[in-house]
Amino acid sequence: MVTKSEEDQLNRLESQVDNGGGGEWEYLCLVRKLKVRRPDKVLKHGLAILNDFKKRSALGTEDWTLCEQVAIAAMDCQCLDVAKDCIKVLRKRFPDSKRVGRLEGMLLEAKGLWAEAEKAYSSFLEDNPFDQVIHKRRVAVAKAQGNISTAIECLNKYLDTFMADNDAWRELAEIYVSLQMYKQAAFCYEELILSQPTNPLYHIAYADVLYTNGGIENLQAAKKYYASAINLTGGKNQRALFGVCLCTSAIGQLSKGRNKDDKESPELQALAVAALEKDYKQGAPDKLPLLTSTLKSLRVSS
Amino acid sequence: MGSGELRYEIAQNAYIKLVLHALKHKAAAVNGVLLGRHSDRGEAVEVLDAVPLFHSHLGLLPNLEISLLLIEEYYGSKGMSIVGYFHANERYDDTELGGVARNIGDHIFRYFPQAALLLLDNKKLEALSNGKDRSPVMQLYTRDSSKNWKLVSSDGSNRLITKEPSANVVLLDYISSGKWHDVFDFDDHLDDITKDWLNPDLFK
Repeated sequence: MVTKSEEDQLNRLESQVDNGGGGEWEYLCLVRKLKVRRPDKVLKHGLAILNDFKKRSALGTEDWTLCEQVAIAAMDCQCLDVAKDCIKVLRKRFPDSKRVGRLEGMLLEAKGLWAEAEKAYSSFLEDNPFDQVIHKRRVAVAKAQGNISTAIECLNKYLDTFMADNDAWRELAEIYVSLQMYKQAAFCYEELILSQPTNPLYHIAYADVLYTNGGIENLQAAKKYYASAINLTGGKNQRALFGVCLCTSAIGQLSKGRNKDDKESPELQALAVAALEKDYKQGAPDKLPLLTSTLKSLRVSS
Repeated sequence: MGSGELRYEIAQNAYIKLVLHALKHKAAAVNGVLLGRHSDRGEAVEVLDAVPLFHSHLGLLPNLEISLLLIEEYYGSKGMSIVGYFHANERYDDTELGGVARNIGDHIFRYFPQAALLLLDNKKLEALSNGKDRSPVMQLYTRDSSKNWKLVSSDGSNRLITKEPSANVVLLDYISSGKWHDVFDFDDHLDDITKDWLNPDLFK
């Protein structure tokens, strides 16, 4: 997961490189570090370096890392010939490498040869049952074929062993959300929050799932998690601010006619509304009247 | 008149905006809403505009609710309402209309019974560069009497057309110039409110 400042930095570098201002290697390293998916840019700029003898020699031994990065980007863009060439070169340089073997497996996936890919991965796992990347490739193979239940099964089994893999928990949560299995998604986000309690994005995702699941207890819990996200982000995250408004309105609707003592205090919502209006006044002033009247209608219905 | 003979006419800008949005996020499922109204003689639904919504966590309610509230408020003052929903699946060969799309469609149906669900047709999109087809690269679904979303067959029925016949030509042009970079959806807006989900300058 990438923070806004990291993404801004990446985008700045990207437009610098696109406009011929140099910095290609820096850009490619940042893409690798942040683990973002920008295959068309990586392919274009990475290949330019690889094909330029001077630029490539300047990298020293790092050019093999670049070769691997370009191979994967090429597969993502379905430029399978480029990928094949990169992998051939890597295989020649590292004849016994399992890492190159992984790339060969991915090439089979890119070609849609699922059975062969699965066979390759299974044999890798026989030699080394703790290869995390290969386990996850098998999940990818299942997902790509549309066998979502197999993917879920594989991921759950993987997480039984490698329960600290946050990327895997996030992937599982997203699969559950796409299938509208909200209780299971909530469980994944709970694991993520336990693992990284100060990451506001997990608090917000968890609150989103609780809200979607519905019911007054879930809504009250969701409101708490939106509030904690506001706390963690210094009130700068609009999703959390909107979340608080929605929760207050929904809780108000559900508790109409109930005991007045159960009524929530309106201060949190008022503060959230004020924060949103301040942000919009500064960032999107033409949308401010629209925002104000929409939030007002939310308050009226609560 | 039931949805049986109703035609759906989508304006070029709305159509292109939705496809470009899908192309911006090739590895994800995306969705959007269709805005418009009944035609004057009532024989068609005119889709005059579209707003791209999300490219992640499509199945979650809070952001959807906020976006629909803001969109309804904005377009209501312009005499339009939400008349349908657009969805593009994550995988190339997934041609099924999934649960999330159907649920959102059901919600829109409650307020506009002639609502249309449009599903991106990846194979048609890929074949677009062959240049012959003028029909939209989307499949049309409408609600039938048994409350199910049924695929409207495109064989010669022309129930879904673009208002401007050269829409696909323009779309191809935009695709080759990488125009999808400039499309902002609601997800982008929630991450950075300076990004405008109305995309006012997209086609200038």
